[in-house]
Amino acid sequence: MKVRVLFFGATAEETGEREIELDLEDETQAGDAFQEIISAYPNLQKHSLLFAVNQEYANGDRTITDGDELAIFTAVSGG
Amino acid sequence: MKNSFFELTTEPLDVGATARRIVPETCGATVTLDGYVRRFTKERETLHLVYEAYQTMALLEMEKLIGQARAQFEIETVGIVHRLGRLEIGETSVVISVAAPHRRAAFEACEWLIKELKRTVPIWKKEFYKGGEVWIEGDSSGAPSS
Repeated sequence: MKVRVLFFGATAEETGEREIELDLEDETQAGDAFQEIISAYPNLQKHSLLFAVNQEYANGDRTITDGDELAIFTAVSGG
Repeated sequence: MKNSFFELTTEPLDVGATARRIVPETCGATVTLDGYVRRFTKERETLHLVYEAYQTMALLEMEKLIGQARAQFEIETVGIVHRLGRLEIGETSVVISVAAPHRRAAFEACEWLIKELKRTVPIWKKEFYKGGEVWIEGDSSGAPSS
């Protein structure tokens, strides 16, 4: 199944990407998907990271489905 | 949501105009936070900031915060506007206005809203300072979870 992964701010700088497409096995869990991404872009580990699936903060055991929108970003700093 | 609003914009913010968008007849006061760019943070002198957002999720999180604030505090209407892009020293980055029948709840809700916005809404600031630039990372000990 294919998902989109979005990067912002520091994670966009570390990966050099704003958006990538990822091919995942069916029934992949969010935690495993994010681990795959971190393995592909190890510089991300320099930061404390937050994860979202379909614009909601994600638990690692959430199952990903085809077409989902994932996002990886650093602790927020708005305001 | 009772006429509450939550917006992202790249335009300069008019704090007074934003506050005056919510003057419900049932309320007696609006408390407004004008958050603006400071020049000095610790020992660093800021030249300017750039704000970026995960816009779709930021709007959803702002909407959730307003719902939570209305459930927790005796308030009526909330307006939140956050600016994105490049901001100079002194420019307003965020306005939070809360209207309530009585001012105490408005003050408390406004304080709660800015604290929660800074913890959960996916917006990031990059600081350009004398000698470098860095994305500011929030305090991960208070990180949000679903």
